Amino acid sequence: MNVRRSVRALRTVGAAVVALGLLAVGCGGGSGGSADGKVTIRYSWWGAADRAELIKKTITLFEKKHPNITVKTDFQEYGDFWTKFNTQAAGGNAPDVFQNSVAFLRKYGEKNLLLDLNSQVKAGNLSLEDFRAGLEKAGDIDGKLLGVPVGGNTFALVYNPAEFKKVGVTPRLGWTWDEYNTAVKKISEAKDGLYGASDNGGVMYLYDLYLRQHGKAFFTADKTLGFTEDDLKQWWGDHLAANKAGDLVPAKKSEQVKPKSSVSADLSASEFTWDNFLVRYGAETKTALALAPIPTTDGKKTGQYISSLMLSGSARTKHPKEVAQFIDFMTHDPGVGKIMGYNRGVLPTNAQFDAYTPTGVDAQVAAYEKEVAAAGVIEPITPHPAGADVCEASLLRIYGEIAQGTTSVDKGVSTFFSEAKTALGS
Amino acid sequence: MSHTQTPARAVAPRDAAPGRPAATARRRGSGRETLAGYLFLTPWCIGILLLTLGPMLVSLYLSFTSYNLFDSPKWVGLRNFQDMFADERWWKSVRVTSVFVLVATPIKLAVALGVALLLVRPRKGQAFYRSAFYAPSLIGASVSVGIVWRALFSQDAVVDQAGRLFGLHTDGWIGDPDWSMPTLVALSVWQFGAPMVIFLAGLKQVPRELYEAAEVDGASAWRRFRSITLPMISPVLFFNLLLEIIHSFQVFTSALVIAGPGGGQAGGPGGSLLVYTWYLYDQGFQQLRMGYASAMAWMLLLGIALVTAVLFRTQKLWVHYEEEGTGVR
Repeated sequence: MNVRRSVRALRTVGAAVVALGLLAVGCGGGSGGSADGKVTIRYSWWGAADRAELIKKTITLFEKKHPNITVKTDFQEYGDFWTKFNTQAAGGNAPDVFQNSVAFLRKYGEKNLLLDLNSQVKAGNLSLEDFRAGLEKAGDIDGKLLGVPVGGNTFALVYNPAEFKKVGVTPRLGWTWDEYNTAVKKISEAKDGLYGASDNGGVMYLYDLYLRQHGKAFFTADKTLGFTEDDLKQWWGDHLAANKAGDLVPAKKSEQVKPKSSVSADLSASEFTWDNFLVRYGAETKTALALAPIPTTDGKKTGQYISSLMLSGSARTKHPKEVAQFIDFMTHDPGVGKIMGYNRGVLPTNAQFDAYTPTGVDAQVAAYEKEVAAAGVIEPITPHPAGADVCEASLLRIYGEIAQGTTSVDKGVSTFFSEAKTALGS
Repeated sequence: MSHTQTPARAVAPRDAAPGRPAATARRRGSGRETLAGYLFLTPWCIGILLLTLGPMLVSLYLSFTSYNLFDSPKWVGLRNFQDMFADERWWKSVRVTSVFVLVATPIKLAVALGVALLLVRPRKGQAFYRSAFYAPSLIGASVSVGIVWRALFSQDAVVDQAGRLFGLHTDGWIGDPDWSMPTLVALSVWQFGAPMVIFLAGLKQVPRELYEAAEVDGASAWRRFRSITLPMISPVLFFNLLLEIIHSFQVFTSALVIAGPGGGQAGGPGGSLLVYTWYLYDQGFQQLRMGYASAMAWMLLLGIALVTAVLFRTQKLWVHYEEEGTGVR
């Protein structure tokens, strides 16, 4: 009798446990529930801690002006951002709104992951008025509006004015690569532990500028590479030689200071990067840095173009209206402009640009962009086909191996071309 | 019925030929217990089907497809495997992982055995030492320890400065493709506590009489170790070796974190830390070649299975199990 009762009791308990377990599994976390009119959207971006601080402030501002919308945030370093995004998007769980850039618009646009914001513009939730320098067209891919710029930037040379002064070289518009390389050499020889320049041989955007100065470009309109293996062999060969000669920061050293760059770790006196990075580097080092014009080949052409960081929406978002309102706020609201400054580039709309009086590093960025615009060196942007991001990463990685001495220039070039062909062909 | 008050199992062997009612009652009782048992198993069964077996089968299917996570998979047959054998970076990841396994495992087990030998005899603070040595293996594979390790081995940090005293390599270990792997190996060896505890258990089971008899016969400490200790703990050694090898093949977090932040560049300095799982992760989630990554995963399984099979085959040569009982070989 006891056995039967205890067995039955056990079975009942067991069944109850199983039922509870299944119930718990079934109650997964919901996302962005719109009970009682409140909406939650998720916003992801890449950047360093300084950008995160500023963005959080802008979100507080946004939530005050739109009390029915709550914004959940998330951010990573650049390289990790897209990996996380890929995983989330593959699971149908991409963030509602996220930071983007020109190189990725086609890649994710072709996979139908980006929200076409044109419908929201028509509905009046997002305004394309008042953008500066034609930036409202930056996110237009084949008629679809896949991204809205939050800042305009262009390539520049971040440098240490004091060190350049010591060797008697003053960067100015139209200076040449020879003058620059001489300065770099002199700085490296003068001081121990400080190199004239970071090794930027693997940076796609810099090589693009160099190619554009020679009438080519990194990509062609036909979605292929715009240069030959010999071109790349020369570019990498020159950089490797300068590296070995001690002019450029050795790879072993630049690896160790990650995530800081060589120039913000006070290892190098100059580095080619986006002009708005001066804001980040300024926060990372006490050394006074400034922006210099890109060296030219012919005394005039720098090959520069205006690029931009953008905000895009996920095609699968359940709240396209709120996403549009968020983007609209972030690009037009003067309060946001005053908080962000030029962290993501020069402010994209006149309302924000006029509301913010740049000081310190931001003023330097503003002055640089003004100078570059006045010099008339800005040209249309190189088209970035789908697979551009893979090419960017491959170039960086392969040159890194060359600089570390684990592979040769010739081998690296052929590896890059085969990887690029796969990436662009797919 | 009174004779169903005793558990059916206890009744069965003794009552060889009870009356029929007792037999059917026993069968019914055990049937109910079996059912309860299965019911309790269902949560685990669901878990293993949905979280382990199911995904494994999907992964097997994906390894024969081209799948970029967003469009539906396209069947390509064996092409992923063909591409793998032609892929230079794949060979590099195999080399890097093999070097790691072949170097880290023996060192780790040797250190574990050595320390276990020191701790086998009761001494003061023994419990403390055991816990202290075991603690790293609990936290060693984590991200935070990886970050600390990277900091320790960077330029002008502790290890670098200490190395200078011994005339060792300076200029930081983690940025240098020749020294980043030793950093990873060191991290693995530092986690010797888990195999050490298992060795301790094995060592404590070696009968004292064998040692005493050997001492009486005049055997040296080394001879005693070689002829008594090693054979007697060979099952434990085999177990540890097998588990460590399987575990080392799957190293991931440590390599990723030691190589530093700013992903998108799988492999660390000069690709020297491109362990197999990292390349798999890069291909699947960054390059969006999930079919290829799935093929890589199954290749890893085959590789580990091969190594395991070889180990099991060779155990006849050196592993001595007590049940065979013909003494020390």
